[in-house]
Amino acid sequence: MVVTTVGFSTLAKLTGKSGGIADLRIAEYPGPLGVHDAAQIARNVEAALIQQIVDGLTGAGVNAGAATTARRGPRDIVFTGSAEEVSRHFNEKEWSDGLPVIAPTIERVEAFLKFTDRAADEPVAVLPSANLQATPWNVAVNAVMAGCRPEHMPVLVAAVEALGDERCSLNNIGSSSGIFPYVLVNGPVADELGIQRGPQLVSRGPNPAIGRAVGLIIRNIAGFRPGASYMGTFGYPLGITLAEHEDDHSPWPPFHVEAGFDRTASTVTVGVTNNWGSSPAPYDTPDKNVAQTALEILCREILKKTRLFNFPARGPDAEKVMITLLLSPPVAKSLATAGYSKADVKRYIFENARMRLADFDWVLKYTAIMRTTARRQVEAGVLPPEFAGAPDDMVKVLSGPDVLHIVVCGDPHRNRVMVMEGGHTQPTTKPVRLPAGWSERSKA
Amino acid sequence: MEKLLVVSPLGFEAVKAIGGAPRLDDLDGKTVGEFWNGVFKGDMTFPAIRGLLQKRFPRLMIVPFTEFPHAHGSDHPSKQREHAQRMATLAREKGCDAVISGNGA
Repeated sequence: MVVTTVGFSTLAKLTGKSGGIADLRIAEYPGPLGVHDAAQIARNVEAALIQQIVDGLTGAGVNAGAATTARRGPRDIVFTGSAEEVSRHFNEKEWSDGLPVIAPTIERVEAFLKFTDRAADEPVAVLPSANLQATPWNVAVNAVMAGCRPEHMPVLVAAVEALGDERCSLNNIGSSSGIFPYVLVNGPVADELGIQRGPQLVSRGPNPAIGRAVGLIIRNIAGFRPGASYMGTFGYPLGITLAEHEDDHSPWPPFHVEAGFDRTASTVTVGVTNNWGSSPAPYDTPDKNVAQTALEILCREILKKTRLFNFPARGPDAEKVMITLLLSPPVAKSLATAGYSKADVKRYIFENARMRLADFDWVLKYTAIMRTTARRQVEAGVLPPEFAGAPDDMVKVLSGPDVLHIVVCGDPHRNRVMVMEGGHTQPTTKPVRLPAGWSERSKA
Repeated sequence: MEKLLVVSPLGFEAVKAIGGAPRLDDLDGKTVGEFWNGVFKGDMTFPAIRGLLQKRFPRLMIVPFTEFPHAHGSDHPSKQREHAQRMATLAREKGCDAVISGNGA
């Protein structure tokens, strides 16, 4: 039998089912284990876990070989309605990513199938974690929904083959660290389909639709459902599609040539990324409580950011700086229990996000547009005198606590934080003015 | 308004259900192994579980997680399968009637 923490039992159940075990026995620990100390863990094990374990080890199971779901035909109609009703239904069933979908009618799916030589029901891959069968048919259904064009099918079928390859280890992407896929297209097919490889590539041309289709395939065929088996604490943006410069813009052999393919071949590579941000997990440990660990992690995360050169900016001509801290509820509660208000957290980070002056000088010299030094900035009256100190002096990298903004959000059962850096703008808040009769209107 | 007839985006069933192992009639006199994946504070939960189970079932034998390799590590599916098979073999060799595996989070 399996011990999980709250929020992860569905994942355990689905993992069991994907291996053919419909009656996996699960005992669920209550609350975010990571932030609990030894005494609280002992209390929770006794109060909530132990009986579940005894019951799970000794209770009656279901029959081996019992069917778990009814068989469904690919052409079975699952819903009838207007375009808006289809989108709403698909979102309610969690078959979509929250955006409207193009209704996958049989005619639209068949139009996509004309762009593959495979039979509609030919196995393409069995995709973990649900271990469901991908075929050209259901790949096409998801591609229609995402807003792809029929001619994108060869790219998507190749992407599904990549997802099903054991080297891809797709079964690992449910992690609460929030991994999501990217698709890299190489070779002549990228230009033939107009897949963007230049400025703003991830948000132009067919790139967003292809990325979205792969995200829907991961949801609907691989079975990664947010909150059930796709556990990123702060969720996921749309999938990213890239194409690589393979002409004079790149001095090196392209990715697919490095992977052993001929330069004239067209390939699709599927990878994963943690961007839009890594989300480290502060734990309670014997030598440091979770609040202190969280504060130190936040300071260290800030020191990793690429806009670091801009963080101490001062004066009327300084670029604006904004750093938004996402704290999951267990982390926020641990900080509050330790006596920290939001203002206290900001103040702590302002005081303690420090680095060696010599390292900060390197950041200014080699990563900032102005290619300056701390000493020159002090002489210009931009930075305070401590930035003209000795190389080993530890300087504060933030201009003040007011550049920090805290939002408590994400999975209430996970102890994670994320630091989102930004600049050129400041958070700007306006009231939402509801129209008269809002309650009635919003229910309609 | 046009009514659209739509099909399902879901994958097709590809795994045959095999059911789980038969459950024990009683824990008294049995042997239970602990599989720890090396993370999520199993070093705190397993001793607590062990102590409570042995208090309740004095003749229950428990093979602690220290007797097994950690069940966490390789991201490669075939290595994960090999590891699972090795763990199962080891549990049988140690006379386990059942195992508790954790912690999932």
